Amino acid sequence: MGLPSRDRLRAKLKKGDTTVRVLLSHPMHTGRAKNESEELISAEFIQDIRCWRNDDEILTIKCGTATARNPYFSFQLAGGELGDKILVRWVDNLGAKGLIETRVK
Amino acid sequence: MVDNINQQRRSILKGAISASTLALVAASGLMLPQRLLAHWPKDSFNAETVEDALLALLGEAEVVEDSAVSFKVGTPPSYAVNGASVPIQVQSSLDNIERIAILVEKNPFPLAMSLDLTSAVKLPFKSMIKIREDSQVIAVIRAEGKLYKTSRFVEVDIGGCG
Repeated sequence: MGLPSRDRLRAKLKKGDTTVRVLLSHPMHTGRAKNESEELISAEFIQDIRCWRNDDEILTIKCGTATARNPYFSFQLAGGELGDKILVRWVDNLGAKGLIETRVK
Repeated sequence: MVDNINQQRRSILKGAISASTLALVAASGLMLPQRLLAHWPKDSFNAETVEDALLALLGEAEVVEDSAVSFKVGTPPSYAVNGASVPIQVQSSLDNIERIAILVEKNPFPLAMSLDLTSAVKLPFKSMIKIREDSQVIAVIRAEGKLYKTSRFVEVDIGGCG
């Protein structure tokens, strides 16, 4: 913790709709993999991702361990205007949190 | 005189409003982490069969195999070199989608992710998932009380759930 966040968030206006792309930086350990010395790596994965547009909560993504490392998501939002605020926050199973926001371009 | 009283009333009202807003903001800010964690549907994610996971997550409803849902897994489709990150894409012509679940049949815990959508969100939705071995990958969409199910078989070269 305390490291600068390496999460990425892009929101772009295309043909009247907003395309949002999220790339989070997270190891997403399932709790079943082993390290070099054959010890289990304990589970550490993002469980809950929420997305807001201009203070309205619009999307909730719940993840299990089967979400790939450094999770990537992309989706469209109906309508939208330049400068809309898009905010994404996530929480993992150990309680680590992240927050990232951007403006629609 | 009347003006004066009105002025006072204004400022009292203003004060009351901003105080209550502040309280709301503070409460929501403080509540959030617990709320987020508490809402993770443990039963569905820890279910070991597709049926259990679906039942726990989406409840009982009529299941329809439907072409209104288009679903892509892997690049090129139906094949993945590395099971640790297999691209998926869900597209649908349905309206009023409430929830989308993505499951991998042969994974130790089939449920990979679950999305709660509002009307502001449009598909396609794209993401990456882990797949342990050759398996059916299933997308289930809940819209207007019905479940729409689509599945794809995916071949995986290197398993991705180790």
